[in-house]
Amino acid sequence: MGDVSNEDIVEIVTGFLLNSPPGEFIEVVTDVRGLLPNDSLLNSSAPATFRAYNTDQYLEVQAPGASHKVLITSEGEINNNEYLDPRGNQVIQFDHIRQEVTGSRPASGNEIDHDVEQFRSAFDNAAQAYVSEHYQAGAVTVYGKKEGGSVVITVCLSSYRFNPSNYWNGRWRSQWTCKFSSGGGNINLSGQIRVNVHYYEDGNVQLTTDTSKSLTATGTSQAAASATAAINAIKKSEQDFHAKLESSYNTLSDTTFKALRRVLPVMKTKIDWPKIQVYKVGGDLGKQ
Amino acid sequence: MTDQLDLALDLMRRMPPSKIEDNLAGLIDLVPNLTEELLSMVDQPLKVAHDSSAKRDYLLCDYNRDGDSYRSPWSNKYDPPISGGAQPSAKLRDLEVKANDAFDVYRDLYFEGGVSSVYCWDLENGFASVILIKKSQDTTKKNQPMKGTWDSIHVVEVTPDPKNGQGQYKLTSTVMLFIETQTPETGRITLAGSLTRQDAKNLKINKDWNHVANIGKMVEDMEFRLRQTLETIYFGKTKDIVNNLRTTVGMQQLNHQNALQAQIKQSVGQK
Repeated sequence: MGDVSNEDIVEIVTGFLLNSPPGEFIEVVTDVRGLLPNDSLLNSSAPATFRAYNTDQYLEVQAPGASHKVLITSEGEINNNEYLDPRGNQVIQFDHIRQEVTGSRPASGNEIDHDVEQFRSAFDNAAQAYVSEHYQAGAVTVYGKKEGGSVVITVCLSSYRFNPSNYWNGRWRSQWTCKFSSGGGNINLSGQIRVNVHYYEDGNVQLTTDTSKSLTATGTSQAAASATAAINAIKKSEQDFHAKLESSYNTLSDTTFKALRRVLPVMKTKIDWPKIQVYKVGGDLGKQ
Repeated sequence: MTDQLDLALDLMRRMPPSKIEDNLAGLIDLVPNLTEELLSMVDQPLKVAHDSSAKRDYLLCDYNRDGDSYRSPWSNKYDPPISGGAQPSAKLRDLEVKANDAFDVYRDLYFEGGVSSVYCWDLENGFASVILIKKSQDTTKKNQPMKGTWDSIHVVEVTPDPKNGQGQYKLTSTVMLFIETQTPETGRITLAGSLTRQDAKNLKINKDWNHVANIGKMVEDMEFRLRQTLETIYFGKTKDIVNNLRTTVGMQQLNHQNALQAQIKQSVGQK
């Protein structure tokens, strides 16, 4: 077997880090650092890897000087260490290695698009109401910008629960990009929903889903009405997803799981082992 | 300083179970000095091979491997053929044959299909066995495709105690379960992973209750428990966690329901 190069090692370890289940990044970092032949191998790639993980996971932080939570996302990334908090009209400074907020500053002129702020704010309010109804553990950050002649509002939603003392963690992430003309008409929504659950008491069991959605809603020139229409469409799609996930659990349990292994053999009792050959179909007694 | 093997095993408990082979390969590249331990301690989905002389399938694992060849439990031959490959002693091979026959019946009764294999090896005092079972299922119900795979890996160490006509049996069992489906509303849903449990018993050895019967009963009882736990975790616990992240019923309605329930409790309590 050929020698594994340092580049290969960094690639393997980066893969492990990016595949960390929600809430377990630090544990995986500890494992990986103890297994590396040389701790410093990660030094140059760590900042980018930590940043990729944190923004992909929609890490949730307390907005400085405000009561709301903000998500760290690539949608809101100003640079490697600065993330937009549109609701707070500020920019958050974030240390990816320590996964901590280090400061904040007011958002500057072009960081918030004031032309679309009316829509962004209306979507934000509608999204907030939706999240407090259905995601007790959730937070949502809403971004707005112009693209060509259209308004583009992006809704990023994350809901997580970490319970390592009971050996489980989980996170729901959805992202919805809503594109429409400020004068009204169709709102084109494209969404992605990802759910990850990890249960690891005396084992390792993971649920993963990752799906893309495409919807339309009808907007008007009134920001609040458009926001309501869009968030209602999102709500319906996520509700359908959730309900189908629930019913799939039942179907899988009743169909596939049952078909893999019976609870008991056909005779409805456990095996009388000293007499096991008696159960053999068409064995010593000859084939039928 | 924590043992590197402990860190490696902790890492494997967190990585996505649906990519075990890739993760294990990466891990072995990272810590090649742990290769032997990792190959024997990290459970992987079982691979199936065909014994063309016996015309039967058998399962591959580290315990029937010698170099790059694997021994079939049916013909007792290595494929690709090698000279001087590891073999159980003649007396143990006898037991291995009986165990394979017995677990073939067990597999048929519980799994109604699939493949099983049992491999035994001598220890200084006693012997050890690995019992492997693999079953796959592909169905479509009302246009919903579903597939699943069950892999059982049971390792039992037997230490005979001839003075007392008994044997000490130590069992470590892992069941790997992979379940997947796809719907328009949810896209692909994957439930993958494994659970491990252990058991130890001192059992009598006599005319009826010999090693095969003792091991068989232990494995059957263990799989009974594991199946229940798998069902609870896969289809209960992970679903509960999802419902912790998002509620299908909105908070306003939930609060209303809770208030109603509290009212009812109070009025009933006042009787």
